[in-house]
Amino acid sequence: MTSMASDVLVLAERAGDQIQDVTYELLAKASELAHAWGGKAEVALFGPPELAAQLPAADSVICVDHPALAGYLPDAYQQALLHVLRERSPRLLLLPNTTMGLDQGAALSVLWDAPLAASVTGLTAAGGVAVATCQVLGGKVLAEVELAGERAICTVVSGSFDPSAGQAGGPAEVVTIPPPAELDAPRMSVRQMFEPEAGDVDITSADLLVSVGRGIGSQDNLELVAELADALGAPLSASRPVTDSGWLPKTRQVGKSGLKVKPRAYLAFGISGAPEHLEGMRGAELIIACNTDPHAPLFDIAHVGTTEDLFDLVPALTERLAP
Amino acid sequence: MRIVVPLKAVPDLVEEIEFTPDGTGIDREYLAFVLNEWDDQALEEALLVKEVSGGEVIVAGLADDPGIDQLLYTALAKGADGAVKISGGAQDTHARSALLAAYLAESPADLIITGVQAPDDLDGQLPPMLAARLGFPHVCVAIAVEAAGGSARIRQEFSGGRSQQLEVTLPAVVGVQAARQPPRYAPISRIRQVTQAGGIEEVTVPAASTQPALTVRRMYTPEQTGHAQMLTGGTGPVADQIIELLRSRGLVKG
Amino acid sequence: MTVRIVLGAVIMLAGLALAGRRLLWLGSLVRSGAPAPGRVNGAPSRVWAELAEVLGQRKLLKRWRSGLPHALVFWGFIILTFTIVEALGDTFISKTFAIPVIGHAAALGLIEDLFTVIVLAGVIVFSVTRLADSPARRGRRSRFYGSHTRAAWITLAMIAAVMVTLLAYRAAQVNTGDFPYGSAAFASHALAQLLQPAGTGVNAALEAFFLLANVAVIMGFLVFVTYSKHLHIFMAPLNVAFSRRPRALGALGELPATAGAAGAGHIEELSWKQLLDTLTCTECGRCQSACPAWNSGQPLSPKLLIMDLRDHLMSPATAGRASAGRATQGSAGGKALVPGVISPEVVWSCTTCGACVEQCPVDIEHVDTIVTLRRRLVEEGQIEPAVQQVLQADAQQGNTFGKSGRMRARWTRDLGFPVKDARKEPVRYLWFVGDFASFDERLQAMSRQLAVILDDANVDFGLLFEDEHDDGNDVRRVGEEGLFQMLVEHNMASFAKASFAEIFTTDPHAFNTLRNEYPSYGLDKPVVHYSQLLERLLADGSIPVEPLGLRVTYHDPCYLARHNRLTDPPRRVLRSLGCEVAEMPRHGLNTFCCGAGGGRIWMTDSPGSSSSQPAERPSENRIREAVAVGVSYFVVACPKDFVMYTDAVKTTGNSERIQVVDLIQLVDRARGPVPALEAV
Repeated sequence: MTSMASDVLVLAERAGDQIQDVTYELLAKASELAHAWGGKAEVALFGPPELAAQLPAADSVICVDHPALAGYLPDAYQQALLHVLRERSPRLLLLPNTTMGLDQGAALSVLWDAPLAASVTGLTAAGGVAVATCQVLGGKVLAEVELAGERAICTVVSGSFDPSAGQAGGPAEVVTIPPPAELDAPRMSVRQMFEPEAGDVDITSADLLVSVGRGIGSQDNLELVAELADALGAPLSASRPVTDSGWLPKTRQVGKSGLKVKPRAYLAFGISGAPEHLEGMRGAELIIACNTDPHAPLFDIAHVGTTEDLFDLVPALTERLAP
Repeated sequence: MRIVVPLKAVPDLVEEIEFTPDGTGIDREYLAFVLNEWDDQALEEALLVKEVSGGEVIVAGLADDPGIDQLLYTALAKGADGAVKISGGAQDTHARSALLAAYLAESPADLIITGVQAPDDLDGQLPPMLAARLGFPHVCVAIAVEAAGGSARIRQEFSGGRSQQLEVTLPAVVGVQAARQPPRYAPISRIRQVTQAGGIEEVTVPAASTQPALTVRRMYTPEQTGHAQMLTGGTGPVADQIIELLRSRGLVKG
Repeated sequence: MTVRIVLGAVIMLAGLALAGRRLLWLGSLVRSGAPAPGRVNGAPSRVWAELAEVLGQRKLLKRWRSGLPHALVFWGFIILTFTIVEALGDTFISKTFAIPVIGHAAALGLIEDLFTVIVLAGVIVFSVTRLADSPARRGRRSRFYGSHTRAAWITLAMIAAVMVTLLAYRAAQVNTGDFPYGSAAFASHALAQLLQPAGTGVNAALEAFFLLANVAVIMGFLVFVTYSKHLHIFMAPLNVAFSRRPRALGALGELPATAGAAGAGHIEELSWKQLLDTLTCTECGRCQSACPAWNSGQPLSPKLLIMDLRDHLMSPATAGRASAGRATQGSAGGKALVPGVISPEVVWSCTTCGACVEQCPVDIEHVDTIVTLRRRLVEEGQIEPAVQQVLQADAQQGNTFGKSGRMRARWTRDLGFPVKDARKEPVRYLWFVGDFASFDERLQAMSRQLAVILDDANVDFGLLFEDEHDDGNDVRRVGEEGLFQMLVEHNMASFAKASFAEIFTTDPHAFNTLRNEYPSYGLDKPVVHYSQLLERLLADGSIPVEPLGLRVTYHDPCYLARHNRLTDPPRRVLRSLGCEVAEMPRHGLNTFCCGAGGGRIWMTDSPGSSSSQPAERPSENRIREAVAVGVSYFVVACPKDFVMYTDAVKTTGNSERIQVVDLIQLVDRARGPVPALEAV
């Protein structure tokens, strides 16, 4: 063992009392790296210590509780996290690439004086060195960077790692640290919380889109695909012919004249792939195309395709998602 | 109220990306540069704040950003009250934030509104770094900003449509995800008028000393599949494979 | 007699005073407008326009069913000025008054009677037309939808009253022996037979009564005219005289601009000609019937747009400001034209196809006015996001597809032969490809086909490659004048780098601006459409072809036919290929727009958004028209048309019946044995 730190710290993201899934992805990766380095996988948990029970896979859960940490307050989180980092001196801090991660990562990079690798989709321990793969230019380019120093921070794109190893095991050691004094004089406060509105969804912010095209034939058939979308918890989007026909509102149109979307996965049913449409969804991370015409241009840019009839495939998918 | 909006020129993603001979960077020589789209949103939000609460909006760019003059003039045409061009350039976001912090130390702002990120951020995002250097509070992924006396009310968005409104003591830094309305259009004729009038203030700040924090081993383009991998085997097996694909990406629970 | 003179004088003076006051006021409204340059130059063509359009009723007679009665009534009123002079002479001078020189020639009596009867018949035809096309029953399909129908009926009734009082006066004259004309004045004599039994005394009274009644009705009509849409009888000759010659199509007109701000945002920022247009409108609705936007359920009717502007111009608030002088000009007050008077949806619905301008019998310049309104909206940044994206991409990349400029000539890569770079070696023809034919994947295939045809025909042509930027035709019509000028400057600089004798393009929109608008920026080379080039090459045998023996229909692109009067070259190409052209009802200058022009192709809104019933798109309407002709091929000569109609054939479910083909594809097919026409 060298004197170099070998622990990996994950900042837990929670919504209310619920630890968010992305935390488990990060914890799984943290365990992998820390154990390879002979260190510990630790989770910083801000809020009630009893939530540590949801983090059995961690070697330690470092708890800081204070009224200012009841919700997510960027300034309070920053003070608390800096405090924990100074106390624990991990080698690597993993943050999710969420609102919280975007707030904290870059600020701590300055305050904790550690390099930051942003938009990380891959992370390995190559010998003693952590090597991160980062998305640049909207994923058009990947960069492999070395985090060779004694400390570093990564903000990780959610969905990059398998969370299963981060969910089991335990129980974790729970360490409670007294909150730093700065939390008593916060520079910001929450005025109001907003839950999702009942109005129409914003398809540009969805992780998963179920999209329909001319191939669905009529408005009645839309119901079939809508059931699948419901089962997936994904909004319905469409190509121009569908919205032109008034079967779906314009807010759902993907394409040159509609909205440009970059979901993590785009399921296209009965969309042949006119250039106007492709322009709107090319950026999706994973494109799954279903069209009975094997020459549909959409197959040229889709990652995965099938010529199964959507009227057979869609109900089969819905069925498999039934609880 | 003085609102400063840092702007960044970023590679236009419609261009084909080429790499430097050693494969560790993007060859910028043949790239066209455009305004970072989040900065465009930030500028819009800043102009909306000014329209409601008064004050002035100053856009700030780095002199070495390709085509920065054009971006600053466009911002002036949209209604910014002043534009400054800060001498020198910056290799990464850390150096960028140091230059801007040096400028803001000399010409203080009440509110700094900029894009939450830029597509070529590799070493992190500007707003929190800038805030950390200045010792200001910061809020990222903002979708609405209102000035209220000595504080600002900032609506911060989370995934899944949740959001919260924060009351933040000024001065503060805001990283804008989206403005309350689409960025306004600047007619070319007005941009040309503004360009002819000139009026970009050039400022020199003490050179920032930051070390490149990351060692880039290589940069590359993700493999293009060219054609979809076709799933076969009948409806049932195809459905299974699709569900598995989604599940492996965490898009289907369980 | 004295009573008659006094009564007549009172009626006349009152009528003239009322009408004069109104006309002076209307004149002050028109004069409150911004300057309209170039409205008096080229006097001979203006005189000719007066003769052809006003006296000759040229545009009206294109639709003979309503045009002929109108022409007859119009000519009737000119003839009947003789009767008015005679009636006034009778009233104020003497019963034996005769028009100098002509006197009481029998022919005059005949003509007067003849036209009195014809005008009465015309009134009946007009009434039937209005009843048959009643907006109350036919709704939006009626060309009178939204017109002031009550005023129209009053007008018809007053015309009838003028004719009836005139005939009755003349008939009574016959019976009192005062009538100066013989039996040639057949109608007067016929009516006299009916009145004769009443006796001379009664007839003398009737004569005096109907004379005064005639003068009174004429004066009443005069006053009514100045207060109603029938004002066109005074305004039309003026409007035609000051109209853009030869027509308000092709190049965009010189549009008004207030200091520092493009276009017009308030009524007084419109030019005086644009204001005169509004006063001239007769509400006949020919523009509306021809308008592709109106016909696809969009909110725009060119007629209602002009009427709304007029109503706003005449509204007390506006008119008060106008008569207070031009000191109040500017955006100091008054309603904004958009959205206060005209809704933005109306302004953005226009395809600038020019059907309204082509139809308008009084030379109203709708398209120029719409672009004037758009310019101010663009100036204020009030454009829908989709169009903003396109304009920004165009400014950044020089193309409306938002692609890298270096990709522009990518389609030439797999040709098997190098395409010349006109910047590096001189060429005979510079091919201005245009955005659609360069970047749309379906159209790139066609561009390649044309390149092969031309190469095989040993045509010396080249491209500007990445130095070609968007031509700007549609950008200009969206109202982004600054961007248009930037594009023109860029393209002119690119032309200067190249050496060529002539430009050709497949895109009628590019063709229009290159041919009609670039010359004022210094372009001095001839510009031809590829249909003209193909015509030449087929005629001189450079492209050897076998007759195809197909029966096809041909769709005239708006910007080729209406805006540039080129309807024959594509048809001659088709005939050279051995194709029989079966015409659709709307063809040539009356062609029906595909709906893509004027920037519409970039806008998101769908047809029928203004009504609960979704109407069909213009392109779908057009495909149904073509299918009814009973041909299997719908030939186009415009890249945008190919895209629009290929889609429309699918959405109307006509894929089995009709196929959209470009001239290029037919030429290619005629060149050699190709088994079947491949759908691109």
